[in-house]
Amino acid sequence: MAVTSPFPATSGMFADGAQLPKTVKVHGINHYFGEGELRTQALFDNFLEVRRGEIVIMTGPSGSGKTTLLTLIGTLRTVCEGSLLVLGNELNGASRDQVNRLRQELGFIFQAHNLFGSLTAYQNVNMACELVGMERKESDRRIRMLLERLGLGERIDYKPDSLSGGQKQRVAVARGLVHNPKIVLADEPTAALDKESGREVVTLFQEMATDHGCTVIMVTHDSRILDVADRIVKMEGGRIKTDSAVQETSVICEFLQQFPLFSSLTPTTLTEVADMMRVETAEQGDTIIRQHDPGELFYLIRTGSVDVLVDDGKQTRKVAQLKEGQYFGEAALIRDEPRNATIVAREHCVFYTLGKADFTRTLERAASFREEIQQALFSRS
Amino acid sequence: MNTPLAWKNLLHNKVRTAVALAGVAFAVILIFMQLGFKGAVRKTATQIYDALAYDLMLRSPEYLHLTDPGMFPEERLYQAASVPGVAAVRPFYLGLSEWQRPQPEDVLPGDYEGEWRGIICMGVDPYDPPFARKDLREVAATLTDPRFVAIDRKSKKDFGPKNGQRFSKEDIDVKTTLGGGRVQIVDTFELGTGLAANGACLVNKQGYFAACWWQAADRVNFGLVKLDDGVDPETARRDLQQLLGPTDDDLVEPQISATPADVEVLTKAEVIRREEFRWVEQTPLGKIFTFGVWVSMFVGVAIVYQVLSTDIANMMGEYATLKAMGYGNRYLTRVVLTQSVLLALIGYVPSLVVSWLLYRFVGAWSGMPMEMTPGIGALVLVLSLLMCVLSGLAALRKLFQADPADLF
Repeated sequence: MAVTSPFPATSGMFADGAQLPKTVKVHGINHYFGEGELRTQALFDNFLEVRRGEIVIMTGPSGSGKTTLLTLIGTLRTVCEGSLLVLGNELNGASRDQVNRLRQELGFIFQAHNLFGSLTAYQNVNMACELVGMERKESDRRIRMLLERLGLGERIDYKPDSLSGGQKQRVAVARGLVHNPKIVLADEPTAALDKESGREVVTLFQEMATDHGCTVIMVTHDSRILDVADRIVKMEGGRIKTDSAVQETSVICEFLQQFPLFSSLTPTTLTEVADMMRVETAEQGDTIIRQHDPGELFYLIRTGSVDVLVDDGKQTRKVAQLKEGQYFGEAALIRDEPRNATIVAREHCVFYTLGKADFTRTLERAASFREEIQQALFSRS
Repeated sequence: MNTPLAWKNLLHNKVRTAVALAGVAFAVILIFMQLGFKGAVRKTATQIYDALAYDLMLRSPEYLHLTDPGMFPEERLYQAASVPGVAAVRPFYLGLSEWQRPQPEDVLPGDYEGEWRGIICMGVDPYDPPFARKDLREVAATLTDPRFVAIDRKSKKDFGPKNGQRFSKEDIDVKTTLGGGRVQIVDTFELGTGLAANGACLVNKQGYFAACWWQAADRVNFGLVKLDDGVDPETARRDLQQLLGPTDDDLVEPQISATPADVEVLTKAEVIRREEFRWVEQTPLGKIFTFGVWVSMFVGVAIVYQVLSTDIANMMGEYATLKAMGYGNRYLTRVVLTQSVLLALIGYVPSLVVSWLLYRFVGAWSGMPMEMTPGIGALVLVLSLLMCVLSGLAALRKLFQADPADLF
């Protein structure tokens, strides 16, 4: 029996190749605010997995729940329902001590810098080093390195009162990164910064990610830094609307483009289609679709291979074998007919599927797109 | 944790810290004054007992306080003197008599009635006065006639000193009336008048019976026992009490005593303790000051709490950030409590100096024996620490509410 996954195709959960360990696993998270009559649900059944060294950008309108999800991952809120694993620790029902220990492996960068007015930039950053018991020499080296990288070399011993807003924000960034956290959680880390220092901050993020395998999850609306994202998560109304690993999404788009009917679609539309695709997995011998059944899904083979079997009334014949990157199931959707063949998995397979309604709508868009081009070409001559 | 955050916070906001320190100092000085007054009460209550030379005291079980001591038969003194280990037993008479303000010399007899004042009248044997202080023994030695009287220079001015302020050598030879008879001032001394009267005078035994004419001649107020060197006062006290008729407390076994329990034997320490207890705990006098200490503490707690909680409220985001970083409540508690303890210690030092000056000033002005003892200094230090820690703990509740989830 084929199994449908709660993760979207673009999440890259089922991409082949070396799968890095997951640092954050959000499974079926529901979150509520308030008590009794006033209780309102802020998050609805969210699934998200983030790999080691991945930079995740979370976007969405205000009130979409992205900040709630970020604070949940950051152990700053108590999990109501569902499972949330951070660095292998289950946060649902975690004790105070566990949480405090775990927090030392996280780095927070808040929108408000929250620096101690009584401490210098150096001492503020050092608060993070002291907590994790970093060696004096090592912490001194890292604090100076970070503050210099962030353009504060001259102002190491200044107190926040004599720093500008952007400078304070950069001190807060240094404080969030100095102790080599395994996960950095940032809320608009570049909002108060000019283009140059904003770039320096995200470059630091990238270095942390590639050199130390640090996972960075940030909420931002700053389009200048979208290019550093390995994964973009869009939230709306308490739900993860799209979860796109940049790499996997481009793979899917390439596959889709090979499908003749979709070949005329722009990358933007293809990405939208990719975002609508779900994941199904099957083991060897599982029947994916059966001849004569009504057709509901369009299948793209992500990994594995399948046999195409046709029953002509007398006997069942294998007519073809399909492999990674190929697709099936489109005929029944296009012609609105029952399935004309049976598909059986030859090995462990991962399929990306598109629902009938989405498929039809995409086809229409492709058609109108073609017409548009024809019109354009026609009118030119 | 190396960064002295508490200290830095105090240094950073100098105005607020100054206000807090002023508050601490204000409360601490108040506490010092209350304890100083209380100490003065205690000292005043026992200053006459302190001046006497004795190891054990015999007195009536009906004893209430210094100026209402009750009486017991004189023969108890002789009985007590027969006990081995007893070196000497001296009688000491004390009662409230009446003193007529000395009349001006040019007044015709009958024209001037004089004003009457209650006065403590002490009666001693001039040839063997029971005083510990040499100057008092010398004064007592001059009282060779029942009409001779020595007056305490600490008596208030309405007792009629010649210079209108204070008895002095000028008043020697002045004649006036004490109790029922005429007396002549022959000397002055300085002891202190206790809390029940504003003046004190010293006469010999016969003079005492004249001044306190209601006292039976064969009864005394106090018996002052000196013990031989090396005799344990407590053992001797028990032996004496057994001999003179055990009181209920000391009854070793039920017995029908030949002598009724009309005498109570006390060690000097017990006498002082009971007298202090009487004035400090049983009368409103001592309680007022004890209460004053608590009120001052409360004022101090309120001020320090206000300062600390404002401080915390202003740094809510910073403290929440520390929590998000993984600092536990224990660390935050330590920061706030360190801040309170520093306030207490820094506020204490100037308060000690100011209070010491105030003690001297108030003591000189009012005549109260205000004394800054190490005991008071230590007690106030503990109280001011307690005060600041209490306010720190109250302010902590606010800190625990710091929620890092609000930071995003």
